[in-house]
Amino acid sequence: MTSPESALGGVWRVIVLNDPVNLMSYVVAVFRRVLGLDESTARKHMLEVHEQGRSVVWSGVRERAEHYAFALQQWHLTAVLERDET
Amino acid sequence: MKLEVKLHLPAVTPLLDVVKVAADSLGGCLAAPLRHDGLDAEFRSDWEAELVAAQNEDIRLLLALFGHEFFGTGVIVLDEANAEPVMRACAALRLRLRAHDLGALPDEALESGAVHVAGLAEPVQRAFMSYVFLATLQDLCLSHLGPSVPGV
Repeated sequence: MTSPESALGGVWRVIVLNDPVNLMSYVVAVFRRVLGLDESTARKHMLEVHEQGRSVVWSGVRERAEHYAFALQQWHLTAVLERDET
Repeated sequence: MKLEVKLHLPAVTPLLDVVKVAADSLGGCLAAPLRHDGLDAEFRSDWEAELVAAQNEDIRLLLALFGHEFFGTGVIVLDEANAEPVMRACAALRLRLRAHDLGALPDEALESGAVHVAGLAEPVQRAFMSYVFLATLQDLCLSHLGPSVPGV
């Protein structure tokens, strides 16, 4: 059985999923605002979301991943957390 | 910085009715539902409650722009204090309109804006125009007021 600590440990990814509603310029601005990305990185992630349906926008410890996912959700982007199994 | 926007009352008033109905219909629901299936149930419920409270507050601020004074002047004032809540509220309400009133329109049409408005039924026309109006407000905030970016 996995202990709660090991279940939450390791590297976690914050993934943003595409939606047909939010404006591209809005998504770029949210990535900059929430994740502190520069304009070109934010734009790269936005295009990935748009063209591939999802983009891993951040990875690291669970607590911060939760913080970012929460903040993205507050701006009405659909964000999910996934454990990095690689 | 402050941005005063003069809106055409006869055009905007019917759209505000649609926006208010969309706001009321959200009630205690999130416009973008949580997709975190792996979260502990209690944690998830706390998260959801916080997000709903924040969403409600943002929408309250947006609707406050269109109070009694607005119907006298047609002017709304956007500034650094209300730009972010207004942008988030517009996103929430656009998601709601998309889910509840614009379901018949394909994603590609909504994304490209290539919608034959005259061919839509009247309630769908109004919902679509409200959807576009909210995007315009978002765009005004984005172009002139932010959002603020840490470290910039």
